[in-house]
Amino acid sequence: MKNRDVESFDSIVIGAGHAGCEAALALSRTNNKTLLLTISLDAIAFLACNPSIGGTAKGQLVGEIDALGGQMGINADKTAIQIRMLNSGKGPAVQSLRAQADKNAYHVEMKKTLEEEKNLFVRQGEVVDIELDGDFKIVTTQLGQKFKAKSLVFATGVYLKSEIIIGQCREAVGPNGFKRSGTLSDSLSKLGIKLLRFKTGTPVRLHGRSVDYSKMEIQYGDDKIMPFSFMSEQSPKNKTVCYLTYTTPQTHQIIMDNLDKAPAISGEIKGIGPRYCPSIETKVVRFADKERHQLFLEPEALDTQELYLQGFSTSMPADIQQEMVHSVIGLENAEIMRDAYAIEYDCIEPTQLKPTLELKSIQGLFFAGQINGTSGYEEAAAQGLIAGINANLYNHNKDQLVLKRSDAYIGVLIDDIVTKGTNEPYRMMTSRAEYRLLLRQDNADVRLTEIGRKVGLVSDDRYKKFLAKQEMMSQIEEKLQRKVKVDEVFIKLFEENGESIPKESMKLREMMRRNNIDIFKLDNAYNLFDETEKPFLDFVNVNIKYEGYLKQQQEDVDKMLANENIFIPETFNYKGAKGLRTEAIEKLDAIRPLNLGQASRISGVSPADIAVLSVLVKKFKDENGR
Amino acid sequence: MKNDVVVSISTPLGKGAVAIVRMSGQGSLDVALKLFYCDKLQIEKVLPRFMYFGKLSLGNNVFEECLMVYFKAPFSYTGEDIVEFQIHGGVLLAQKVVERCLECGARMAEAGEYSKRAFLNGKITLDKAEAIIGEINAETEGELSSSLQVTNGKLANTVLEQQEKLTTLLAEIEVGMDYPDETEELGLKLDSLKRLQEVEDEIDEILAQSKSATYLKNGINVALVGKTNVGKSSVMNALLGEDRAIVTDIQGTTRDSITESFIHKGIKINLIDTAGIRQTDDVVESIGINKSKQTLAEADVVLFVLDGSEKESEEDREIEKLLEFSKCIYVINKSDKKRLVEKKKNEVEISALENTNISLLKDKIVNFVIDNEIDFNSLVLTNERQLQILKDARAVVEEIKQTQFLSIDILSMLVKKLWQTLGKITGNTENENIINLIFSKFCLGK
Repeated sequence: MKNRDVESFDSIVIGAGHAGCEAALALSRTNNKTLLLTISLDAIAFLACNPSIGGTAKGQLVGEIDALGGQMGINADKTAIQIRMLNSGKGPAVQSLRAQADKNAYHVEMKKTLEEEKNLFVRQGEVVDIELDGDFKIVTTQLGQKFKAKSLVFATGVYLKSEIIIGQCREAVGPNGFKRSGTLSDSLSKLGIKLLRFKTGTPVRLHGRSVDYSKMEIQYGDDKIMPFSFMSEQSPKNKTVCYLTYTTPQTHQIIMDNLDKAPAISGEIKGIGPRYCPSIETKVVRFADKERHQLFLEPEALDTQELYLQGFSTSMPADIQQEMVHSVIGLENAEIMRDAYAIEYDCIEPTQLKPTLELKSIQGLFFAGQINGTSGYEEAAAQGLIAGINANLYNHNKDQLVLKRSDAYIGVLIDDIVTKGTNEPYRMMTSRAEYRLLLRQDNADVRLTEIGRKVGLVSDDRYKKFLAKQEMMSQIEEKLQRKVKVDEVFIKLFEENGESIPKESMKLREMMRRNNIDIFKLDNAYNLFDETEKPFLDFVNVNIKYEGYLKQQQEDVDKMLANENIFIPETFNYKGAKGLRTEAIEKLDAIRPLNLGQASRISGVSPADIAVLSVLVKKFKDENGR
Repeated sequence: MKNDVVVSISTPLGKGAVAIVRMSGQGSLDVALKLFYCDKLQIEKVLPRFMYFGKLSLGNNVFEECLMVYFKAPFSYTGEDIVEFQIHGGVLLAQKVVERCLECGARMAEAGEYSKRAFLNGKITLDKAEAIIGEINAETEGELSSSLQVTNGKLANTVLEQQEKLTTLLAEIEVGMDYPDETEELGLKLDSLKRLQEVEDEIDEILAQSKSATYLKNGINVALVGKTNVGKSSVMNALLGEDRAIVTDIQGTTRDSITESFIHKGIKINLIDTAGIRQTDDVVESIGINKSKQTLAEADVVLFVLDGSEKESEEDREIEKLLEFSKCIYVINKSDKKRLVEKKKNEVEISALENTNISLLKDKIVNFVIDNEIDFNSLVLTNERQLQILKDARAVVEEIKQTQFLSIDILSMLVKKLWQTLGKITGNTENENIINLIFSKFCLGK
């Protein structure tokens, strides 16, 4: 094919899962002519496993995606059918929103969103090869079509050489039986990219009419519903419920009797599976003392009877699966509609990436989502957004965006995988974030809207709304500066809350330092705030009540930033570095960290190594006049 | 770049008439003036590169004469604000001053940190860079050879155990937050405070043992007190006996107290004689008296020598009033004669003349300050940096206990801080270890 037949774009995104969609939207919305290639248009933003979005730490990710101008939160709000705030009794830092999403509606909504973008061209096609042509990258589809672009975003999910495993049966297909990509990973190897082979799985889907709900516990959504997105004017509504049930000793017996047929245990499956999504057979073997395991039934969508059986992921042969399901309380006569399966796939070793998600060895190649060894829709979408933002900045020769660990969960996620790598599909957890008191769901907009604005994704509407909210906050804070006298109202408030009564008048804000007095009690006593202010009281309350701890954490952040702000020049030569231990040299040279902070988080690099490195880097910069 | 305040002893440990304790970093002067007193000296009045004579507060109303010099950034060795205290020579005193600086907000300097800062601030030329790296590595090696990783001491293991307990506690707290729906799988009992108390008790135990270890390193300072003619010098000679060590100038005690030492059960015991401590109008004598009082204050053990063959006199009672009962052993001398002095609670009857019960007295001195059998393997924590880490850890437990507004996210934040603090000794600060424990202990996932 001659060069003039190659259609040219600013950027090409390969894959239209959660990462690919965010990347494509970010690129097209920043005025890049973008091509989104997907193996099947019917698999766009497909919720291949849980029909849910959010959850602990993931809810924070969705909030952050939203604040930066991403799409997931908005579409999740539009298609949510049940919403709960997790950890609501455990303090603001770890509260996370979780929604049951309508699987069909979510796909339709995202496809519609993509179709509406004027700079975005969505096209079905399997990429079988990529080549480099100077600054350009050329992709070839299975039909021999060629497209070229300045930058490429790989968001191919679990489709690379994927195989679905059910008992002895191995099928060369992608998730849910979609077509897989059989050659693209070879193309990556050819470019010198190191691959890993990971594994994950999904449970059975059951027919709703065959379930005996009377034996199960109902799980309702929250009464007071919060949306994910800052832009959602209306909160979603609860339209369905979930159910809780349990395995029985019989279930465990069936599993134990058939272990030789379980590919995950017999060694048939070689890919590395995630510890947080173990199959039910793994749970039964590893935690033999547990008498039962809890299982949740979640509706897949409103227009189907299909139910997702959470906690029951397995790769047992189909007949054994059926036996196992029938031993669960309330599922004695359950009809299986889709069998559970394990899936193995190729992904890349993520330490080959910069914290911008660009490949270190080849400029303009970005990677996002499960191809980076992560797991989860939200993790994927977050990376897709960052890869999209940075591909745009790359196209325009601008400095790329790196979110710090103190900026966002997204920063923690990316820093973890590119600095430490991962030996199992990586899932975001609140315990991974050291500054989680600062990284709350309720302040995602405060943390990230300005950044989103700078990279061109925060619309005027969103920005105006954000500024108005900031204005409202300072208005509330100002009202709290008022001094009040020790009068009847004052005394009653303190007495009722078991607080000792001070002698002198006090600022309202000061009163909130007392354990039992919060902004809502103040409002009740003094009638301080009007309706427009009330939605923001929670936020101000947390900021004041947790002030001391927030400050403590901010001090930790400042200490961390001291190292984070010392950049290591890309040309710095570790191999010839005198004074560093050999182990440290090898690790540092493999990762080639962006700054001293990232260097200090590489496992096997000690504080003394960092002290030495800081001296060497300064010397290097002085000698090279930077 | 603004750096925090670090402190260390910058003169060689051991001999020397003068020791220098140095602080560097923004706010050094603030820290210094929390413990240095010099006739109404105010922070804004302190002139750079002038020497001030004043007193350092060592706590418990004990003061030490001191010279202070302030160097204002960038005109200093490190290019940052520096304060130097010049004090009397000796390890104990210098360590005490460092300890006080730490209490007032400084932190221990890391290996080679002054030179590193000087270099990064452009105060040292490029050709020195390699020397600094050598310094960092040499000091780090020294630290490592006395660190936990290469010893199997009992204390070392105890610190590791405490951190493991905290890892478990953290894993349990974290899992409850990351998997709120899996209540069935967890069945958690969050008796956190009780478990933290256990950790604190163990830390206290280590600190107490480390104190013993400090005695092993520096010896036990024993002051002899008693009226004249009571037989003080014969008691001293009996104690010194054939174990008599060379005459030494004890480090850390009042400068010109000449004493003698002997070794008992492997521990050095420093005997310090005191001048009379009766009230007097005589100026010269009163200086001696004050010195004696200071000796008594600084001693680990005070031997109050009484003549057993006499009833207590007015003078005896006067002396007794000056003594802290908690560190006092009554030595009832002249047991070869008929006893007239009344029974004392903490006494040893000896005869210096006939050399009876001298060994018993020595045992008593040692047991008085060192409660338990000393495990000679456990001496690693005499390192000031490690001791300070344990004290910091203790402070975090106290902070948790005093926090009333304790939601689970705050609890976890503080427990994590505690875990990281102990991690500075054990080297275990990898977050992944907590996550690994979560998945090995709990059955989770969809």
